[in-house]
Amino acid sequence: MTFNRRSLLAGVTALGGASFLPTIAHAKGQVIATTYPGTWEDAYRTVVAPMLKKKDDIDLELAPLFAMDQIGKAKAARGAPPFDVFVLDPGPRIVGIEGGLFEKFDAKKLGNLGKLPAGFTDDVGVHVSAQVVGIAYNPKKLPAPKGWGDLLKDPWVSRLGITGFQTTFGTSSLIELSKLFGGSLTNVDPALVELKKVLPKIAAVGLPAAMPGLFQQGQCDVMYTNTQTVATLKGKGVDVEFVKPESGAITFFTTMHIAKGTGDLENAYKYLDLVIGKEAQEALTKPPYNFLPVNKDVPLAADMPMKSLDEMASYVQHDWAKINPLRAAWIEKFNKEMAK
Amino acid sequence: MSISTVAHDPSGPPSKRNGGHLPSGAGEARFWTKLAEWQLALPLSLAFAALFLAPLLLLVATSFFNDDKITEPGFASWVKFFGDPFSYKVIADTLLLGLKTVCATVIVGYPLALVFMDLSPRLQKVLLFIIIMPMLLSVVVRTFAWIVVLGREGVVNQGLMWLGVISEPLRLLQTELGLVISLTQIEMPLMLLPLISVMSRLDPNLRDASAALGASRWRTLFTVIVPLSAPGLVAGCLLVFASSTTAFISQTVIGGVRLIYLPLVIWQQSLVVYHWPLAAVASLSLVVSVLTVIAALSYLGRRSSRHLQG
Repeated sequence: MTFNRRSLLAGVTALGGASFLPTIAHAKGQVIATTYPGTWEDAYRTVVAPMLKKKDDIDLELAPLFAMDQIGKAKAARGAPPFDVFVLDPGPRIVGIEGGLFEKFDAKKLGNLGKLPAGFTDDVGVHVSAQVVGIAYNPKKLPAPKGWGDLLKDPWVSRLGITGFQTTFGTSSLIELSKLFGGSLTNVDPALVELKKVLPKIAAVGLPAAMPGLFQQGQCDVMYTNTQTVATLKGKGVDVEFVKPESGAITFFTTMHIAKGTGDLENAYKYLDLVIGKEAQEALTKPPYNFLPVNKDVPLAADMPMKSLDEMASYVQHDWAKINPLRAAWIEKFNKEMAK
Repeated sequence: MSISTVAHDPSGPPSKRNGGHLPSGAGEARFWTKLAEWQLALPLSLAFAALFLAPLLLLVATSFFNDDKITEPGFASWVKFFGDPFSYKVIADTLLLGLKTVCATVIVGYPLALVFMDLSPRLQKVLLFIIIMPMLLSVVVRTFAWIVVLGREGVVNQGLMWLGVISEPLRLLQTELGLVISLTQIEMPLMLLPLISVMSRLDPNLRDASAALGASRWRTLFTVIVPLSAPGLVAGCLLVFASSTTAFISQTVIGGVRLIYLPLVIWQQSLVVYHWPLAAVASLSLVVSVLTVIAALSYLGRRSSRHLQG
């Protein structure tokens, strides 16, 4: 086969033409939103995407990414965001605010604004779901632990799976463990000292994303995690129960933000309005998704550890503006203390 | 004019054949062949420069900043990384993991390649398909499958307990042994494919000649087959080493986070704490340390091949 100038030009033209295809698709009306991999992705693909198409004729394209990865990608894109909407936990949210990654948020553009409790929107985004962190255990293999301290005692410690400071739930849980031994919101050293004492007994030290799989495979039978992971594992037939620690479960809100420089601002608002609307929130609350709703008209599921969102005010909440600057050093310390 | 014509026209245009600067005769023909080869290689070279060299230079530049906001140039990230003895441990562990995986793949893969040589062409095709099959699966799927195999309630532990060999499950997951076992399987095609490609070209008469001259099977193996298959073996070792030292998913999912290797440190610095200069230093350390071992391995390979020819 000869490779001449004419075929080269034809090839280049075809490739160049192909690059316009996404733009053509874009023009129809779409929004690219991030979602957490796993339950969030399933739920948003199955529930939210068809609703948005039906209501506003907008195609929802989902980019499954953990919160930290979203911030990393947006920072790397330098002003040309690869998606229109972020979904974030409190820690990465603050990193995003500091990095100027979000559009100024105008809550008045949300038709469902009145359905949210006061303070659930600000000038950077909107609360879309609540999360509750506590202890998950296998009731067929272990008695129920009462609190964070039990995790370091027999019989739980030899079946314990832990994760470090990479995620919100990991960091929050280690802070609470630390408080039991004289630590505080900004001092996690006591937790690391106590963990190191029992390290040879601990069943698994893994990445956050690997923990549900390790629990499912019986590699560990007790771990700190959120209610949603517990509900998802239960839905898969895994023997798992959630325990609210006696010192209190941890709670935080998941928020959504519009990426600075997005070309689909109006579509992004329509998407966010739909996400906090009664129809979507109600569907997301049901199994197998088990989200904690933020819409006042949507009741909480019966097996949740609280009866209403107001009750969550009494739960443990952490100030991530104080945690974020310390987290790099904590991760480094965790590496060194836990390394074999 | 087609490019392929240029490639096969070593004489070049007559008007450019003199001038005193260019060599004449056979040398001139070689020059034009080289030039034509460069023209052919140009698109790939440009793509390589744009997609590999430019990002690499960007990585080097990023490493010379002191802060996570990338505003203050300096050497602080290098000083911080190499001023910490823990970094040396992580680099050494990463390289050792690669070497252990290479040893394991050679021990398991070489006999398999020998078996391959003795099979009929039809069975060779079947074995080749079996060797390639794992490559058709995503590495994530293969890695998670190893959790099921090596886990506390996995196939290995259940089997050993059923046989009465052990009474308590062995800890195989989140250990280096478990990680090396799984990487051996995951990286095996990278060892076997170059090895088989070289070994299948070996003249079968050489073995017969060796036997006829009175050499035992072991002596034939070590003095005839191993030296002749050295290029394939070295290529396999290089591929397995480079792939296993950078296998982030397998290292973190099967090894857990108590076994800390450079890819985990890079991930933490770049995507968890966003300290890109430090992540760049860790990445460059990985590139340089892996390339050093690869250079050493290929030097050994070349030396053994020269020794053979000499």
